[in-house]
Amino acid sequence: MLRKSFNLMVRKGISPFFAGSKAVQISASRSISLKPKFEKLKLTPPPPGGVEGGVNDDLKKPEIDFFHGSYHWDYERITAVALIPLTMIPMYGAIASNAMYPMIDTALCCTLLIHAQLGFTSCIIDYIPKRKFGIWHRLAMLTLYSGTAFGLYGVYELETNNNGLVDLICKLWKNEEADLPIFSRY
Amino acid sequence: MSGLLRSNVTRAALRRGLATEVGQQAPRLKTFKIYRWSPDKPAEKPRLQEFQVDLNKCGPMVLDALLKIKDEQDGTLTLRRSCREGICGSCAMNIGGRNTLACLCKIDPDTSKESKIYPLPHMYVIKDLVPDLTQFYKQYKSVQPYLQRTSVPADGKENLQSIADRKKLDGLYECILCACCSTSCPSYWWNQEQYLGPAVLMQAYRWLIDSRDQASKMRKEMLQNSMSLYRCHTIMNCTRTCPKGLNPGLAIQEIKRSMALE
Repeated sequence: MLRKSFNLMVRKGISPFFAGSKAVQISASRSISLKPKFEKLKLTPPPPGGVEGGVNDDLKKPEIDFFHGSYHWDYERITAVALIPLTMIPMYGAIASNAMYPMIDTALCCTLLIHAQLGFTSCIIDYIPKRKFGIWHRLAMLTLYSGTAFGLYGVYELETNNNGLVDLICKLWKNEEADLPIFSRY
Repeated sequence: MSGLLRSNVTRAALRRGLATEVGQQAPRLKTFKIYRWSPDKPAEKPRLQEFQVDLNKCGPMVLDALLKIKDEQDGTLTLRRSCREGICGSCAMNIGGRNTLACLCKIDPDTSKESKIYPLPHMYVIKDLVPDLTQFYKQYKSVQPYLQRTSVPADGKENLQSIADRKKLDGLYECILCACCSTSCPSYWWNQEQYLGPAVLMQAYRWLIDSRDQASKMRKEMLQNSMSLYRCHTIMNCTRTCPKGLNPGLAIQEIKRSMALE
């Protein structure tokens, strides 16, 4: 009897895919447990040669996901192309007549932010893939999203309380305090 | 006159047939540094082993030199080869920092420089110059590289194709799946578990634009995710390295274009 149950346990232990995994998970993740689960932080090493399963098994089919597929690519191109007129018009305005266009400026800021967000998303998928990094991938994405949100708040500040991005850049060339009466100058 | 000429010719032919005269030239010794690792001694680190080959007694291609080394110097040197004329794609390896077929790569005649030969980069090595291509073939299988139709042709004989449609397949069907392009792609190095890689994507495109194939919707949907296709960032190493002069980068870009307008 004892031996039989031991055998069963061993068998369960070596085949976690079929038997043990669910039961083990339930017992290990009690909601009152204060023990931190460091297992989550570990990286998943790639299987030898990148081969999952047997040699003759089919490749695991990825889920169909237009928003991470062609739509993501489309948005990347659309924002990239949109940035060309959105930078050209304010530049022409600033150089030719020192004019500022607040709406175009806002559009420029937002497009730039989205473009950067999409680009960084691609970087994260490339170098911190979910397959290997698990929770760290989620952390990186979360950081990116919060950074973009913070950037969006910055754009709001820049456009309402200040004079916009173009003006901010123009200030690099202008000396605002040229007529400030500093005692040595006059 | 003609008799004299004929006797000269026959003498020259006879002389060519004799093996005695070859030794008169000074030997041109070329150094080859070849990656060695054996699964029989897994604890031993991979190393570069030096071999010297007399180029006067060797064929013009790197594969000739490798086979000469295997024949005469070290029988344990392991490599894949089959057709020795660039049509089977077995002898793909990294020669002088470039993925290419050993049978299509000429030996640099400059004997002062050594030639370094590695297996295809960023692959698991089975032995010496033999990489593990299991994942590569599994990926090829996953794009379903065969004709798929819902209807049979009206005459029950052939799936006909116009000359213009056939021309679309040129530059795609010549691929011999040597894996030179896939293993030269940084994106494939980082994500080869999920990214299909240039060679397989070019074959996916080959079946996408085949006018006889009717499964293009399914084929495109298979690529609609962040990993399979869109890890290509037009680095273009694939096109640079292709020993057959094909353009996988363009093919991938064409897939992206056709999928963008859906």
